[in-house]
Amino acid sequence: MITLTINGKEIRLDKPVTVLKAAQQAGIKIPTLCNHELLKPFGGCRLCVVEVERMPKLMTSCTLMAADGMVVRTESDTIADVRRAILEFLLINHPLDCPVCDKAGECELQDAVMQYGPPTGRFIEEKRKVRESHDDPILARNMERCIVCTRCVRMCEDVQGASAISMIERGGRTVMEPFSSRSFNCEYCGNCITACPVGSILSRLYMHSYRPWQMDKEVETICGYCGVGCSFVAQVRDESIKRVIPRIGFGMNNGLLCSKGRFGYGFIEDSGRLKTPLIRKGDALVESTWDDALDLVAEKLTEIKDSYGGRAIGGIASARCTNEDNYVFQKFMRVACGTNNIDSISRTGYAAAQKYFEGLLGQGINANIIGGIKRSDMVLVLGGDPASVNPVLGLSIRAAAKAGAEVAVIGHAPGLERYKTINVLPPLFKEADILEALLLEVFRARGNRGESHAIDRAVSEFDKEYSGKTDMHGLEELKDKLLKSDSISIVFGMDLVQRTDGHRALFATAGLTHLLEARLYLLSERPNEQGVIDAGCVPDMLPGGRPLGIPDFRRRYEDAWKRPIPDTEGMTLMEMIEGAKKGDMKALYIMGDNPVFNLPDRTFIKESLASLDFLVVQDIFLTETAELADVVLPALGWPEKSGTYTNLERRIQLLRKTVETTSGMDDWSIISRLSCRMGYDMLYTDAENVMDEISRVSPLYRNLSYKEISDKECLWPYNGEPLRGEAKDIKVIKEKSRDYDADLYLALDKPLFHSGSISQRSPGLMDISPEPRLKIGTRLAEKMCLKDGDNVIISADRGSISIRVSIDPCVNGKVVLMSNNFKEKGALGIMGYNLDPVTKAPGIEGCAVTLRRG
Amino acid sequence: MTFKELIKKIFFIEIIGGLALTLKHSLSPAVTRQYPEKRITPPPGARGLHALTRNESTGEAVCVGCGLCAAMCPTNCISIYTSEGEDHKKIVDRYEVNTLRCLFCALCVEACPYGAVLLTPHFEYSGYSRSEFIYTKDRLLENWDKYMGGAKSREYFDKFWTPKSADFARVDAKGSESGVNQ
Ligand code: SF4
Ligand code: SF4
Ligand code: SF4
Ligand code: SF4
Ligand code: SF4
Ligand code: FES
Repeated sequence: MITLTINGKEIRLDKPVTVLKAAQQAGIKIPTLCNHELLKPFGGCRLCVVEVERMPKLMTSCTLMAADGMVVRTESDTIADVRRAILEFLLINHPLDCPVCDKAGECELQDAVMQYGPPTGRFIEEKRKVRESHDDPILARNMERCIVCTRCVRMCEDVQGASAISMIERGGRTVMEPFSSRSFNCEYCGNCITACPVGSILSRLYMHSYRPWQMDKEVETICGYCGVGCSFVAQVRDESIKRVIPRIGFGMNNGLLCSKGRFGYGFIEDSGRLKTPLIRKGDALVESTWDDALDLVAEKLTEIKDSYGGRAIGGIASARCTNEDNYVFQKFMRVACGTNNIDSISRTGYAAAQKYFEGLLGQGINANIIGGIKRSDMVLVLGGDPASVNPVLGLSIRAAAKAGAEVAVIGHAPGLERYKTINVLPPLFKEADILEALLLEVFRARGNRGESHAIDRAVSEFDKEYSGKTDMHGLEELKDKLLKSDSISIVFGMDLVQRTDGHRALFATAGLTHLLEARLYLLSERPNEQGVIDAGCVPDMLPGGRPLGIPDFRRRYEDAWKRPIPDTEGMTLMEMIEGAKKGDMKALYIMGDNPVFNLPDRTFIKESLASLDFLVVQDIFLTETAELADVVLPALGWPEKSGTYTNLERRIQLLRKTVETTSGMDDWSIISRLSCRMGYDMLYTDAENVMDEISRVSPLYRNLSYKEISDKECLWPYNGEPLRGEAKDIKVIKEKSRDYDADLYLALDKPLFHSGSISQRSPGLMDISPEPRLKIGTRLAEKMCLKDGDNVIISADRGSISIRVSIDPCVNGKVVLMSNNFKEKGALGIMGYNLDPVTKAPGIEGCAVTLRRG
Repeated sequence: MTFKELIKKIFFIEIIGGLALTLKHSLSPAVTRQYPEKRITPPPGARGLHALTRNESTGEAVCVGCGLCAAMCPTNCISIYTSEGEDHKKIVDRYEVNTLRCLFCALCVEACPYGAVLLTPHFEYSGYSRSEFIYTKDRLLENWDKYMGGAKSREYFDKFWTPKSADFARVDAKGSESGVNQ
């Protein structure tokens, strides 16, 4: 216990902190400039000086550790004089253009000068002149205002880990500059904007269009781009989001955001937003009224249900919709349409992996808080690049590496290039081989955790039957390190699920997680992939992860919903689509997703959907899928609705309505209106009302209210009862892995600046990354004499795309990488697929392509 | 009651005094002006209709859209919308004063670092609809031309606009320079 006195107030500290922190804890304000809560103490600006008894000079409180018996004064005439002098020095080189500086009103220099500073300076010499730089698409740089606190540089280097900027020049001419000199060309997290105390780094998205005090409202909400679910404050003027700002101490992102969260909100104001329902008349979709459209949908669905039975109807839910939307959707499907055919595009990744892991390791296996990564001494990354799929989670891995943890990457993760300590590069598409070998090495070295667990038995079994070789290159070191570490985090990306033998990698990872007692994190590209599962939008589970096959669980829900639920498991995503092609599936209801674009083999998916009798699409834009629909219903984007999302750590968070719109209706509201028309009344008043019902009926969330979700952290298992039980049949199909002997393969790229296709409608993200690029390795580029930006035509047997290349030395010579974000230039469209027999996820590996100049 | 008070009461001394005053004033010339037949010139510095200062050399408004006037206004009657213009300068798209809500306190005038907004002595304005009283940027500049321009403005700023900021000294209503943008 340290006891010190600040301004006559006695302060007791449990752990050693700086004098500045001690003062802050006691509510005493000391002015600072170079200090930032997310950064290490720097001691550069000297504004935070204090008097300490028995110390001859003034001390900087941000670097001085509090010691027992210290007597500190934070305000005195001497201190005020010194602070005034420091500020006068700073103003020598400051343009004082507050009236046109966007930072005015929240500028730390302005505040300090208001409190201590001289009203006028005594220096009449020239100030430094630096041109304001607008060379970058979204970050404006005004270095005349820079006070050289280096907060931006430290943020970029120590926290973001991008090291994109630096201080250059010396003395009075010192300024910050990006390494690429003109544009930033960095990760565009914008965290340097947050760090800068003055108006030196500003976002061009809302340049000159606001004053911090002009906002009509500030809404604390969460980002709807990926499964991390960062919190931020959206500032709104005239029902338009001006900017989003993260806040320190608020949400688990604690003041950080990534490019998508910070600059990606513009899509809701896109001119292509659907405004009224559309009904197909011949070849065209014509505008209609809500009543007509809903009547038509109700009539058609009833007709199909009556003549073919519920099994001919299917529903595709969305991981971009809230828990409330998805719960209402599955209830509608199960009781109003009488079918369990409900799934979501998450089946292609997260849902498949989550189900497999839970089956083997028990419910809640992936419920680990992201903060745990920072505290592990080893992080194993496989199946994707966390730094681009879930950027803020990626920062935790970088932080762990900085703190000395081992970071092992299996495959490629360009965002961790400078942080990985071990890299195992498996042969193309053969990660599963490596993982199985690793599992056995670990098993042989350490043995089982106990025979009681099904997975223990399965691993022993697997060990006996294994026929491959385990002495693969690079594995030895990885195995040793894994065995030596006490606290391991496994970060699992979905690339490994999108394999025809995806379950092999899942089994091996599950085994490793179990044997090493590791924490498992599943990367999640969409904001609510976990929520979709928990809300019951899976063909074999009721809300709360209750298996449909067990009559007791079914009965509980039947009692609550007062209608029978069909007892046979429904079809999974791809089975529904294939069923449509075969003619078994007559009607599909798609809520908030775009399967034509987001699933492999575009021609096939289009044909399948076209052979349906009736297709309803509920979305915010006229997507490729909506263009095929018989009825299109306009919904709301995430900043326009209230509800909850469950993130990848299974934390439930509130999404708050940020702006009002007249364009569409809440997804749950559309569906409940439809349900009433089909003879099953759903009378919800608002999203909170839906949540009340969920927490009443789903055993996973007992008595969970919005108030509770907003007041405290809402972590797994909430107040509910997770289902304990172990897997009965662990399916590992031992097949020989395929050989890949084509010259070139296409693989899916997950870019940092885009997510799904809504990011295409966000001007900020389009400014950063305006067009798709095909990433090719250096060797291939040399062989084909291609330069960055040259156009090529990439052909697979399902089509070809003309696209410009960018040369990336990290890319393996036998693959080219392409993203699936840009309209008409999505990689998935030309890739074929084979279903994984266990997970039912489409495997897209091994898509042979040819490349020619074009 | 003293004797003196009693006498005053009996002889209506107080009332006679009052009546004498009334009589005196009813015979002296009237101070009430017969508005609108008779009009006055308001004294310099009188606080009437708003105007936006026009930079006489560029013809543009001096206002840079800092928003301080609106932030200061106790009745919230000024709304300002700005955006990024050519050369990335800040431009004022809309500057509107709802004069129906204004209480002519002139805090906006005091807040402005450039003397870009002011209250002219003109107070006679009327209209048939509420919307006529919402003065847009163009109308506010017209007000300047009509009621403030030239020597009058210089007198106004010299006498009534204090304290002058360093920026203001540079701007000057003659407007050879225009504010911080240079
Ligand atoms: S935006 Fe992010 S990556 Fe780019 S310079 Fe700023 S802190 Fe660094
Ligand atoms: S740009 Fe901002 S954060 Fe960076 S050194 Fe200058 S004042 Fe500090
Ligand atoms: S990490 Fe994910 S949730 Fe966080 S800001 Fe980025 S996209 Fe949004
Ligand atoms: S005079 Fe007073 S009330 Fe009127 S606009 Fe100015 S600050 Fe507002
Ligand atoms: S304070 Fe002056 S410069 Fe600023 S917005 Fe108002 S009138 Fe314009
Ligand atoms: S805040 Fe302590 S020296 Fe800058």
